[in-house]
Amino acid sequence: MTTGDLVQTAARRIGAGEPIPEAELRELAALRDVLGLGMLADSARRRVRGSRVSYLRVADVAGDREPSQPPPAAREVRLTGPFTSNEAACAAVRAAKAVAGSVPVSGWSLADLADVGAGAPLEERLASLREAGLDLLSEVPLDRLASPEETLDRAAAAGFTGIRLTVDRAPASARLDLLLLARRLASRTPAVAAVNPLPMVLSPFRPTTGYEDVRMVALARLAVPATVAVQVDWRRYGPKLAQVALTFGADDLDHVSADDGAAEGGRRTVLADVRRNIEAAGFEAIERDAFYRCL
Amino acid sequence: MADHNSLGEGGQLSEGRSEAGPCDGTGECRACSRMLEALSAKVRSGGRLSAGEALTLYRQAPTHLLGQLAHQVRLRRHPEPIVTYIIDRNVNYTNVCVAKCNFCAFYRDVGAADGYVLGFEEIFRKIDETIAVGGGQLLLQGGHNPDLPIEWYEDLFRAVKGRYPSFKLHALSPPEILHIARLSQLAAREVIRRLVSAGLDSIPGGGAEILVDRVRRELHCHTKASADEWLDVMREAHRAGLRTTATMMYGTVETEEERIEHLLRLRALQDETGGFTAFITWSFQPEHTERGGVEATGVEYLRTLALARLVLDNVDNLQASWVTQGGKVGQLSLAFGANDMGSVMIEENVVRAAGAAYCMDELEIVANVEDAGFVPKRRNMHYEVLGDPIVRERDLPRMLALATAREPGDAAVPAELLRYEPRSRHEKARRRSPADE
Ligand code: SF4
Repeated sequence: MTTGDLVQTAARRIGAGEPIPEAELRELAALRDVLGLGMLADSARRRVRGSRVSYLRVADVAGDREPSQPPPAAREVRLTGPFTSNEAACAAVRAAKAVAGSVPVSGWSLADLADVGAGAPLEERLASLREAGLDLLSEVPLDRLASPEETLDRAAAAGFTGIRLTVDRAPASARLDLLLLARRLASRTPAVAAVNPLPMVLSPFRPTTGYEDVRMVALARLAVPATVAVQVDWRRYGPKLAQVALTFGADDLDHVSADDGAAEGGRRTVLADVRRNIEAAGFEAIERDAFYRCL
Repeated sequence: MADHNSLGEGGQLSEGRSEAGPCDGTGECRACSRMLEALSAKVRSGGRLSAGEALTLYRQAPTHLLGQLAHQVRLRRHPEPIVTYIIDRNVNYTNVCVAKCNFCAFYRDVGAADGYVLGFEEIFRKIDETIAVGGGQLLLQGGHNPDLPIEWYEDLFRAVKGRYPSFKLHALSPPEILHIARLSQLAAREVIRRLVSAGLDSIPGGGAEILVDRVRRELHCHTKASADEWLDVMREAHRAGLRTTATMMYGTVETEEERIEHLLRLRALQDETGGFTAFITWSFQPEHTERGGVEATGVEYLRTLALARLVLDNVDNLQASWVTQGGKVGQLSLAFGANDMGSVMIEENVVRAAGAAYCMDELEIVANVEDAGFVPKRRNMHYEVLGDPIVRERDLPRMLALATAREPGDAAVPAELLRYEPRSRHEKARRRSPADE
């Protein structure tokens, strides 16, 4: 297929609401024209979400410290830090629940839970965390799950919903395969609510590039089913990249600080800036809760 | 982007409905699309945009379309897939300034404890460090310091050229030239002549902000140089055979129309002299400034850059401002009309004072250029290609933060300042004080 035919075919499929076949996605991923890819992703996102962009205000709480009352604007309390043991994790969840009130509590990476060698099987670990009050898993890193379908099924069976598929640190060259995996997982598990295609672990010596980031966001939008949100982590990626990503198919900004007056470093912004960035990109800002319900 | 405007005679903007049918207010109606199609066709065929046409594109074209048009114009000017950059150092010789622009976080009042003037030896050391990483030029700019007469600049330039004959001085923006002219009661033309004979190679386009006097008055930068004065200095520089750059700082109080007026004034001077080598735009950095406020967003930057590529059809090179936008949006600028990644910079003081502290060393610039599908080449100030990246020839230490003019708290006064007659009351008093006797 020529580039023109490829883009036209993709545009036609998007218009008709058809999924783009894997072979065509691979060809699109090889396109050098990042703006052409962006245009396709933008039309796909507009078809599904119109001009709405959702954002989630999150209060981070260190899992190994006594939690304090989250800011009133928090829509999710997210436990951070390594998963050391089931007992410690359950205790952290209970402590967080005690201060979070009705705000959902999330925490840990499904890969970390699945990785902890000896001890109770994953199902039991997931069940005990649910019982302690854990509402959501923070991350489901596609590049770290040994048997993704099976592991995700267990999480869903334990009652976890609002699952966001993430990428831990896979290089750009490996991420299209991960997006195709995300497509398969989202198609078989309705609990999958979002895919966050940009790496969660950043290297100061070899940061990802702007082209790489927006290309991944666009491919994610073209790869995953229409019902799945494509999100960018506002705090990790900053306002500039996060905003530009909205024009490349992203429709959700995760991890906005719940502390509206928070100084998250010189270049980070608070709620007004999140909304301003969304609107300046030509979209409508809508706050959501941890379960992807618009508020 | 929802307003529908139609193009009147001569491309002037007029509100209302066009013959293509009623506007539905979404910016996506048939009338709007037809107008955008017509304007896109005009750009693609090399037509020159009027103010009204530029405004319509800026307001109504989807971001990707603006980018694609800008990229097409860039490819017409530079068919080779090359992206250039320069290794130089951004040195601010003094932060003492009497201009007091209200958007500036860098300046200090005369007599301020943290005001500084760099000594010649400090500047030589910076040049040595620049040469060590493959650089061949200083971008030398500073505040309007009343205690630095023209002789200070002449002596500095001569000293630099004496020690480093082939090293280039890209120095003194038009308002600095005017400041020196006023201090020395000389015409700007004469100042330029004397500085060129002392070693000045080219003039940076700083201090342009927005070349509309209403805006300049609001920014308290009208007295340092009115729009006409800025352009006149550039005209004189071009007539004297110097090449210069042109800039635009947007995102303060200007309207979209005034941004376009700025671009059109640059385009007109370029038609007249052909002296601008490049155009650089950046957003106002508000932190720690008297003006304050918020910074324009990344998407606005990319749209403004693309618009500049479309309007400035007679300027060869457009730089990406990664120092204000960060490396990622800086790299994406290459899809929105930029063909140059600017400078490795090594040192930066002005933008950092206003809250931005991005850094890209040569390795990262090269990686970003290649990742975007272009071939990186080193250049000089005239945008002549000098060669392949230095990092391809030898290992350079990674640079994860830009240097500053001075270490915090270093208040040393260079000895050679005593050679020049002070003008400010503060400096006169300081020289009379027993500590200096
Ligand atoms: S922008 Fe330049 S002229 Fe204006 S106050 Fe700052 S240093 Fe002085």
